[in-house]
Amino acid sequence: MSKLMEKYTAGFGLSLIVTSLLNAVVLIIKETNNSVMSAMKAALGHHWTTHGAMIIIVFVVLGFVFSRMKIEEKCDSQKILKFIILATIISGVVIAGYFLPNLKVAGSGIKY
Amino acid sequence: MLNQGFMMLHVVLGVLGILLAVALFMDTLNANEGHFERTKKISLAVAVCMVVSFLIGGYWYVVYYGHDRDIIKAGQWPWAHNYFMEVKEHLFFLILILSIYLPIAVYRNVPFTDKKKRNLILGISALIILLGLFTEGAGGIISKGVTFGLMGR
Repeated sequence: MSKLMEKYTAGFGLSLIVTSLLNAVVLIIKETNNSVMSAMKAALGHHWTTHGAMIIIVFVVLGFVFSRMKIEEKCDSQKILKFIILATIISGVVIAGYFLPNLKVAGSGIKY
Repeated sequence: MLNQGFMMLHVVLGVLGILLAVALFMDTLNANEGHFERTKKISLAVAVCMVVSFLIGGYWYVVYYGHDRDIIKAGQWPWAHNYFMEVKEHLFFLILILSIYLPIAVYRNVPFTDKKKRNLILGISALIILLGLFTEGAGGIISKGVTFGLMGR
């Protein structure tokens, strides 16, 4: 049995890494740029719907593109996993960190 | 009533997806040829649960949530929406793509033949479980935000 990753596992793994990071980037751009936010709202009726559709389409398209690029010859499962975990942590921290100022209520911190 | 039904279904499928990811984690830890077929079915079930939960939750969020959001923002816990809902709705995209990737990784790599391939499936399952638990907790806080908002009226 080959130790190489299967091509779709490698391709979609790399796509997962890129799409996870893209998720955080799109969030920052749409939240800081009103024209982007308006365009996303206009595209599918709600910015979140457009954001979700973009993420799914990019994940699938990049997955097939990367699967043809012989990624499996350049890295193994361990390396892909490391980068998936890293990308998920970075994306999660960016998302959680971006909204952190929203925990403040009228300048007084969390109110019970 | 339909509103509540959609919400319950979203939560139930999310919890089921997390539980199935735990089952997959354990199955992969004890991977052998005898139950590889079961492992494949569980990985597919995780993806189906998370995708359907995402679609139902997304529909509910776009169609019904506006009213609840106004109640939360006018109540004692406005940060239940301003922070936890905002974070939850964007973290769910990560769970979604991890869940779609899971069956690709399981079906295309026999996990019991190589430790590195097995670790890949363990790692993906663990990420789904951790992110899933966070979103379930955030959902509970958002729900409490609505309760506190209604109590203050």
